[in-house]
Amino acid sequence: MEITGYNVAFIAIAAMTVTSAIFVVTLPNILRSALFLMFTFIGVAGLYVLANAEILAAMQLLIYVGAITVLILFAIVLTQQLMGARITQTSRNIVLGGVAAIAVFAFIATTFVSHFSKGSDMIAAQPAVPTSDPLLMIAKMLIQPYVLPFELASFILLVAMVGAIVIAKEDKD
Amino acid sequence: MPPLSWYLYVSAALFALGLFGMMTRRNSIAMLMSIELMLNAANINLVAFSAYLRGHTMVGQMFALFVIALAAAEAAIGLAIVINIYRTVKHIDADEINLMKW
Amino acid sequence: MTIPVSAADWIVINTELILVGTAMIVLLLDAFNRRISDRISPWITLVGVVGGLVSLGFLWGQEYTGFAGMLVIDSFSVLVKMAILFGTGLAVLLSVDYLRREELAQGEYYGLLLLSTVGMLLLTSSANLIMIFLSLEMLSIALYVLTGYARMRPRSQEAGMKYFLLGSFSAAILVYGVALIYGALGTVDLAGVAEALTAPGILSNPVLLAGAGLVLVGLGFKVAAVPFQMWTPDVYEGAPSPVTAFMSVSTKAAAFAALTRVLVFAFSDLSGVWMAVIWAIAALTMIFGNLVAIAQNNIKRMLAYSSIAHAGYILVAVASANQLGIQSIPFYLIAYTFMNIGAWAVVTVITRKGEEGVGLSDYTGLFWRNPLLAVSMGLFMFSLAGIPPTAGFTAKIYLFMAAVNANLIGLLIVAVVTTIISAYFYLRVTVIMFMHRPSEVSAVHVPIAAYVAIIIAVVATLWLFLFPNSTQAFTEAVWRMGL
Repeated sequence: MEITGYNVAFIAIAAMTVTSAIFVVTLPNILRSALFLMFTFIGVAGLYVLANAEILAAMQLLIYVGAITVLILFAIVLTQQLMGARITQTSRNIVLGGVAAIAVFAFIATTFVSHFSKGSDMIAAQPAVPTSDPLLMIAKMLIQPYVLPFELASFILLVAMVGAIVIAKEDKD
Repeated sequence: MPPLSWYLYVSAALFALGLFGMMTRRNSIAMLMSIELMLNAANINLVAFSAYLRGHTMVGQMFALFVIALAAAEAAIGLAIVINIYRTVKHIDADEINLMKW
Repeated sequence: MTIPVSAADWIVINTELILVGTAMIVLLLDAFNRRISDRISPWITLVGVVGGLVSLGFLWGQEYTGFAGMLVIDSFSVLVKMAILFGTGLAVLLSVDYLRREELAQGEYYGLLLLSTVGMLLLTSSANLIMIFLSLEMLSIALYVLTGYARMRPRSQEAGMKYFLLGSFSAAILVYGVALIYGALGTVDLAGVAEALTAPGILSNPVLLAGAGLVLVGLGFKVAAVPFQMWTPDVYEGAPSPVTAFMSVSTKAAAFAALTRVLVFAFSDLSGVWMAVIWAIAALTMIFGNLVAIAQNNIKRMLAYSSIAHAGYILVAVASANQLGIQSIPFYLIAYTFMNIGAWAVVTVITRKGEEGVGLSDYTGLFWRNPLLAVSMGLFMFSLAGIPPTAGFTAKIYLFMAAVNANLIGLLIVAVVTTIISAYFYLRVTVIMFMHRPSEVSAVHVPIAAYVAIIIAVVATLWLFLFPNSTQAFTEAVWRMGL
């Protein structure tokens, strides 16, 4: 393995991502879990940059870090403020969950990764560098072959909006 | 440049951690966070495959974009449900609502 | 720059467009005038559903592919879409008076119901894993809200929360599986998957197998197959009864259509592997659903386990994966739609405000309180048990024939034995209704809309038994479809 700037950056970002994720699922204080979740999201955005997916990294930062994390923090703070719910939380089935998680990780790591690290005519050694402006490519794809999923996603957001209002609105009468 | 397998290791770790969180956490917001970890794991895979598969088609990036949009919709709905449940029953521990009762 | 949408594209989504338009009208009307909306939105919804059925009639027998192969219209999807729309229409008839009784708002309910239906219709036609994921999410997100729609009733909210957590969990698993399939084959298009699988040596690829397995898990959650059924009883019990009626039939229909398309058409070259898995899941689902249903004293929970069991029967058809099996899936789904919604309609009528009165004892002597209701419920129970003269009998016969043709004798034996076991708890309801005369007889008030729904269900249940040939031409066309 060569020591290149990219490899070092990858290892640093990956270490941050996975460590934060471990904190997310183990810390007893749910507020801290949520903050570490933000670091995981930022780390994932960094991985996207290294895979030449800058647009997606920007989306990740905007939506995951900017919207979802804030939403989660809001929910935690709101429920704690209004209802005095406990901010600490308990876990169960730790042994079972740990064994399952390690088994899944080991399975994926041994079978899949070895499959892909062998190298094949499908898998390149280097990530492809976009030939033209990636933003333009994504924009064109959203209009040409992916117009239906694009429209459908907008309807799903509509459903979510209507649904969230229906569920969370205060009763006036 | 890091090889594809490195991305898969990170993705596998996040997926396993999300699974761990789903199985052990009792607070429903914490369970939602675990689900987000799993979705991120899938997205890392999609983006990595999109970059390393020959005949670079960007389908994976496209898919990841939709997954991000949907994650936002899911989070909005989930947190609305959580807040409403607080208002009426004053707890959000999934255990107390018998999540796994047969 | 114009968006290139061809004529075929418009034809492929015309049913969905009608329903989306109706949903927009209902939602906007509700935003502008709540009083008018409360009164007429169910009828607008019904008009939209009937319009959708008419548009399906025009699509019958035709084959279209639209949006760069993402959506297909063929006989299979048209028939399943019909089942979904029948389910939606009957659920609307049940909801009108239910929402009034429970003092719930009408407008958004129908908007969400329609958008959920659109998700189901798209899922039925999806021929691309991106579309399958998105339409699955659309129907699920709307259903999470509908499940928790009775916002003041803790059970309903808890059901909504449970459905949301396990549904999102299953969606995350599905996406991970799709990502693996994409990595192994380089495509997410079902036709592309089928083509890529013909390459030599690809079938033993562990990544592909794991990806297909995870997609199977994700869809297994939606059809409530064992061992992914744990959410079903609580969600079905807690959700408002008309919503349960709707999701027990329509979601199941859409998810089975997607499962069939993925397994039988895209992954047919891998059938040596998944057939054994589906075999085991089908057997477990039938055994578990029917055995646990026996122990239930709450009619909603009993019907929930019955619904799990029926998923097992449909899986028998998927496992046989032959012409007869594929034909019998839409027939079974349509028959199941009528008999199951019929049963839930009776349950909706019998329960009192706040979902009280769901014990089996509430059905004691129903015959003396309302003979028509009791006879209808008896017929639906017969049909669910697969006893003639009902649609359930015909549907099971098709299914068993498919299993015989595919040489699945072991699975056939399980199916027959569990059917016999199931007769016990279905007939128990009938016995309670007819054999025990209550000491005091109080009439049951049945709203007219619910009566209409029950009568439609009764007629359809008998019709599909008496004239199965009227649908045979339909189901025979199913086999001719391309992917």
